[in-house]
Amino acid sequence: MFPANIEQYVRPQSVAEALAACAGYDAGEAMFIAGGQSLMQAMKSRMTRPRCLIDLQAISELKGICTDEGAFHIGAMTRYVSIANDERLTGYFAALRDAAHHVGDRQVRNRGTIGGSCCWNYVASCMPAVVMGLGGEMKLQAADGSQRSVTAEDFLIAPLETARADDEILLAIRIPQPAGRGGSAYKKWGLVKDALPVVGVCVAVTLDSNDRCATARVALAGLSAGAHRATAAEQALVGTAGDAAAIAKAFDAAANAADAQGDKWADVAYRQNLIRTLGQAVATSAFARAAGHRE
Amino acid sequence: MENQLKENTQWMGARLERKEDLRLVTGQGKYLADIVLPGMLHAVFVRSEYAHAKILGIDTSAALETPGVVAVLTGDDFKTDVKSMRQPVLLPNLPAVYPEYFALATDKVKYHGDPIAVVIARDKYTAEDAAELVIVDYEELPVILDAEAALEPGAPQVHDDQPGNEMFAMTFTGGATEEEQRQNEAEVEAIFKAADVVVSNRFRVHRTGITPMEPRGVLCEWTMADGLTAWITTQRPHIDRLALIDILDVPGEKVRVIAPRDQGGGFGVKAPFFRENVVIAHAARKLGKPVRWIESRYESLMSVGQERDQVNTMDVAATKDGKLLAVRNRGIANNGTGQTGVYWGFVMPFLGQVEMPNVYTWEKGDVKLRVASTNKACLTPSRAFGHFPTRFAVERSVDMVARRCGLEPSDVRRKNMIPKLPYTTVTGEYYDSGDFLKVWDNLLTNIDLPAFRREQAALREQGRYIGIGFACGAELSGVASELLVPMENQPGYGAATVRVDPRGKVMIYGGDAPGGQGHETTVAQVVASTFGIDPKDSIVTTGDTGATPFGAGTIGARAGSYFVSAVHKACADLKEKITHVLSHDLDIRATVEEFAFINGEVIYLRDPSKKKTFREIVERIIMFPVNLPEGEVGGLEATAFFEAAKPMICFNGDFCIVEVDINTGEFKIKRWVTSEDVGNVINQNIVDGQMHGAIVQGLSNAVYEEFIYNEQGQQMTADFENYKLATAADVPDIELTYASTPCVHTPLGTRGIGEGRPSSVPGALSNAICDALAPFGVEITELPLRPSSLWAKIKAARA
Amino acid sequence: MQTVTITVNGEAFKEAVPERLLLVDFLRERLALTGTHVSCTYEGVCGACTVHLDGDAVKSCLILAVQADGHEVTTVEGLAKGEELSALQKAFREEHGLQCGFCTPGILMNMTDFLKHNPNPTDDEIRMGLIGNLCRCTGYVHIVRAVRTAAKMLAASAA
Repeated sequence: MFPANIEQYVRPQSVAEALAACAGYDAGEAMFIAGGQSLMQAMKSRMTRPRCLIDLQAISELKGICTDEGAFHIGAMTRYVSIANDERLTGYFAALRDAAHHVGDRQVRNRGTIGGSCCWNYVASCMPAVVMGLGGEMKLQAADGSQRSVTAEDFLIAPLETARADDEILLAIRIPQPAGRGGSAYKKWGLVKDALPVVGVCVAVTLDSNDRCATARVALAGLSAGAHRATAAEQALVGTAGDAAAIAKAFDAAANAADAQGDKWADVAYRQNLIRTLGQAVATSAFARAAGHRE
Repeated sequence: MENQLKENTQWMGARLERKEDLRLVTGQGKYLADIVLPGMLHAVFVRSEYAHAKILGIDTSAALETPGVVAVLTGDDFKTDVKSMRQPVLLPNLPAVYPEYFALATDKVKYHGDPIAVVIARDKYTAEDAAELVIVDYEELPVILDAEAALEPGAPQVHDDQPGNEMFAMTFTGGATEEEQRQNEAEVEAIFKAADVVVSNRFRVHRTGITPMEPRGVLCEWTMADGLTAWITTQRPHIDRLALIDILDVPGEKVRVIAPRDQGGGFGVKAPFFRENVVIAHAARKLGKPVRWIESRYESLMSVGQERDQVNTMDVAATKDGKLLAVRNRGIANNGTGQTGVYWGFVMPFLGQVEMPNVYTWEKGDVKLRVASTNKACLTPSRAFGHFPTRFAVERSVDMVARRCGLEPSDVRRKNMIPKLPYTTVTGEYYDSGDFLKVWDNLLTNIDLPAFRREQAALREQGRYIGIGFACGAELSGVASELLVPMENQPGYGAATVRVDPRGKVMIYGGDAPGGQGHETTVAQVVASTFGIDPKDSIVTTGDTGATPFGAGTIGARAGSYFVSAVHKACADLKEKITHVLSHDLDIRATVEEFAFINGEVIYLRDPSKKKTFREIVERIIMFPVNLPEGEVGGLEATAFFEAAKPMICFNGDFCIVEVDINTGEFKIKRWVTSEDVGNVINQNIVDGQMHGAIVQGLSNAVYEEFIYNEQGQQMTADFENYKLATAADVPDIELTYASTPCVHTPLGTRGIGEGRPSSVPGALSNAICDALAPFGVEITELPLRPSSLWAKIKAARA
Repeated sequence: MQTVTITVNGEAFKEAVPERLLLVDFLRERLALTGTHVSCTYEGVCGACTVHLDGDAVKSCLILAVQADGHEVTTVEGLAKGEELSALQKAFREEHGLQCGFCTPGILMNMTDFLKHNPNPTDDEIRMGLIGNLCRCTGYVHIVRAVRTAAKMLAASAA
């Protein structure tokens, strides 16, 4: 119910200060807190017991969404509510709003951050799958000041496990603008409205000049492996016109290839069915957005 | 009843703003967790990690050494100092095998969450730290979780003093003797053999219940001079007090129980007498300091709010014209450990079988129940007490009969509905008054059924599937002593003290403790109506055993039936005195019937110039009691007890319309419509709110909520992430309609409402889904209703 | 222990608090503002603890008091201006939008924020907005009505 004892709470003003605060603690003893919507749950259930809590709320360079050469640069501390309301995130980037608009509830969206979600990488979460689906790059900074960029796939290793070291901070997520007209969408299913995804599907496509699918990225959420690409579906979509039959075939392939688990929310067959039905809806939407059609 | 014509009728049926709301919307409510006493200590329980194990040892040393920890108590501290929980006042007068238990587990733990120790510290964070440091040495024992398996020979025994794991068994039909019952069984079997139509099904309803938003809590203060004052989140403070007296062996003048003025819902979950009450009281006594325990949601979901969990194997015999002939039911209930006072879990399934026949004119019934002990939490009462599963089974069975006969399910219901009350069912339940057919016909005015069937057919051509489902339910309106004494060993009468003050204000005292039903407002409206004053001039106090008359509790819709009737009776007694004195003062000979109490005045109807204001006359009687009529003494206070001549009911019919997506199994409720007989209404908003709340609880139970134990008996759904309650986005708007008949047994014609209301929901919803999926022959016999299971059924049917 | 300064309902409070003290406990126990309620354990799903942090509806059980240092918190006790209740408070009374009242403060706080951003909501939008507040008593029907009524009241007074 209540967190275990916390020895130190610090609120650094810069990334360098935040990283320096880890010094003197063993790996995992000093933890960064972003929106806290996941970390506080873990602290209150005492699943995790940080000795030191480093609050990132005052570091302005971690916040905000800006563009550079068409790519979106989303600060790790950007809240879901900001993403959900950012009207620049259309076309190829629309899935970000789809997902952000339905994470948890209003109160969660006012606090939770995209960076926090990706670094926590909970098995049933939306943002990691969307970031992966859109080809996001994770920008990290280490205690010595060096920075590195990691693809979402390399970053999101497994549920609750990422490539970020305990003394690294996620600065931002960069999502490059693809060549050509792009569109993306995301949808999830849970037992109650906006529940954590039992299955979530993100599709991002680009179209060639003949309105055929030039590139396709499909990422799944909610399966026990955590966010991962559904390559069978991607391959099946490329070259198609995004018609219902083609999409159905693609997601049938994805459903058959998926390592779907059975639990109290859905058995294996139903999860596979969700991949099909959600995939159908999401891919249809992604193609429509890429073509610039009103939905 | 004639008095009503001469009373203020504007308050009856009004949509008056509730008196409770000003404090509640401004955050000024006072719930148990808001009560702070100086020097108060905080308690955290250590609970079993295993479903079934021996306790070999408990090491509390590290916990005791934690700075800020004052004490750690274990089962041994209770075995000697405190008596057993199995006290007569907490035992039903029903033949069950009641296993012995104490406030804390002693040698064994019997469910995941069984309380083993309590840590008491100066602050609650420290108490939680220390609780983690208590080390319990367990020896795991075999776990038994399935009720039917528990009743098999050779099953692991839950209680040493309950061999065979059978908590309770009963035959509800045929008569008192075994011979009569066997004879009845044979007669029922003969009906089945000869019947045109027999539907037989095994209906399974999962473990779910109506957990309230405010978890439990106990705050005890024990002083040498005054003894124990216990604030408890409880629906029945007077009964709790008796139990504390007996278990702690304290004289009654030294025990006072107070249910806080504001409670965050009860729904039955706060009706039993819990072990934590004893533990905290004993701790306060031992430590000489106030001790408070606030239950966490985790504890709550592990320990209470679990109900339903029944298998009902039901056969229904009917003619090909849809006339219901006989019902045969074998119910098996999963009771968990059964160790919770007043109900012992099994009283719910007991009543569930009593209420099973619903409102149909069965010629005969053959109804039996077995209740099994398992290593799960004991069942706690939940709105639709015991009959959520049996109602589901009957309403589904009626629909299946209708489908077999090619008839409309609503017609089959109407055809078999008890046409005239009073009526006694095949299980002996008495329905006092009301007009079921009137309610049903009113329900049907809200749908053009032929038009719906045409629309349904047209949509099917397009590959869309809509359906309509009906259900109905006769529900308890209060619980008469003749039922409550055997069932719960306590009385069913309503009791109220009415105290008028010299300024014309009226104070009401009642012993039953509400949890959001708006009693302060409803009762004030009754008083205003009776005395002709404004509801704001009437103040209601409940729940303090030191200040209120004895009441069995806020259970079974007692308020609208028993409590307000007692209030009215006490007011009526005072009206006699008031008019007696006023007649004397006016020098006229008149009886109470010749006066109107209206608009703050008491008026002689034969000569309206002869009158006094209510305030004037009451002040005269209380403050200036001279020159009174012969035999009268000053003062204006009355206590009245009300017992209805007969057990009473209310009644509702529902239909809902759904659309099912056959590709996903998802279903959307397009309409939910009700028709209710609630008797005469006091506050229409409150009644409406009760209906909405009950129906949504029914939906949430039927679709989203499920308590799940894994194979080792570990509770897997002890938080709101895993035990999902319906949110506002998950449930529809609800259309309420009314076709009421005044109750003949209450002075105001009111009925108690709301208790059983969720019970018709799973039947109506699943009937609608089955109606939608009729082309696929899908029949639902299990809850919860999940898209995944529907989808699987549809897929199998299409294969 | 750390010293924090948190402005609550317009008044600044300077208190020494343990690092792990939850904001909801700071409000309820340090400041005796018991209108904010706790109904779940660690999961932060029920919403009964909802307050405003710098004007945004958030769950105070998922925030530490030290995180609120230097910030402004509004609780249900801060909605009324003296005896003048807010539109939502009035509407909830009018529409019987509460029964036991345990979830109500959280809903009032959430919907106060919601109506600022969505002053003319549809019923569906209201229902979606209420996902973070569990209610057991009302079945949500009158709550939705109360929010709609409050929206009308606010529009009328703005006009």
